[in-house]
Amino acid sequence: MSVRWLLLLYKVPREPTVARVSVWRKLKRLGALLLHDAVWVLPPSSRTREELQWLAAEIRERGGDAMLWEASLCSDGRNDELVGQFVAQVDAVYAEILAGLKRPDADLAGLSKRYQQARLQDYFRSPLGERARQALLAAGGRAD
Amino acid sequence: MRWVTWENIGVDRMGCAWLIRRFVDPSAEFVFVAAGAGPLPDGAEPFDIPGARLSHRGGHSSFHTIVREYGLDDPVLQRIAQLVDEADVTQEVTIEPAAPGLDLICRGLRLTSPDDRTAVERGALIYDALYAQLAADPSS
Repeated sequence: MSVRWLLLLYKVPREPTVARVSVWRKLKRLGALLLHDAVWVLPPSSRTREELQWLAAEIRERGGDAMLWEASLCSDGRNDELVGQFVAQVDAVYAEILAGLKRPDADLAGLSKRYQQARLQDYFRSPLGERARQALLAAGGRAD
Repeated sequence: MRWVTWENIGVDRMGCAWLIRRFVDPSAEFVFVAAGAGPLPDGAEPFDIPGARLSHRGGHSSFHTIVREYGLDDPVLQRIAQLVDEADVTQEVTIEPAAPGLDLICRGLRLTSPDDRTAVERGALIYDALYAQLAADPSS
């Protein structure tokens, strides 16, 4: 089976900084991985494809250039490594949520908001995410 | 007038079609072409296609662009434009909690519709409902 990935290659003018930062923040918010300071990667889905296509259009509108690719790795073994990096990224947030819930003054509203954001980047449905979900529900008095 | 957009419509194109028919061109006729398809049909106004006049602009959705381009001075439409902005693509700042839900419903509506034309008609029910509720209670 060939695993496919979406790759975004872009450059934006150095100035204004706000344009560069805005593009970068959106990619972080999507949970995209930056490989070797060169290429941003996301797993393909109708949502990620649309998001990146519009981001590419925005980059061009801001005077930059962007190319969106869909590709598969020639070195098969490295797919798991990439998946692992995506999972590790959301697991770090889930672990913080679980730790936060142990505090007596846990900010449940804030932690649920962080959960929702992590959930949108959890492309491979991490098991720790399910634990965080159950822990949040239990803390809110409605365990499954 | 004829209007053209990419097929497989979601929250933004569904909203745009509703907005065009209700507020810009009541007799609008919509044409759908494959995403990225080469020359667009003559005499049709493109919307929500990258590079078109009525498309994403300055980080805003195409819905937002149409509201502004046609000077639709209606606070409810401006509020819906904010919702569509957040529902359609990732934003740095999100202030509309209903946005992700609207996105999901519109995606699902396309899945349960046999074609884009039907999805536009059904999507209009959702946007009419949204408009009515936000007009009745702006604090919603």
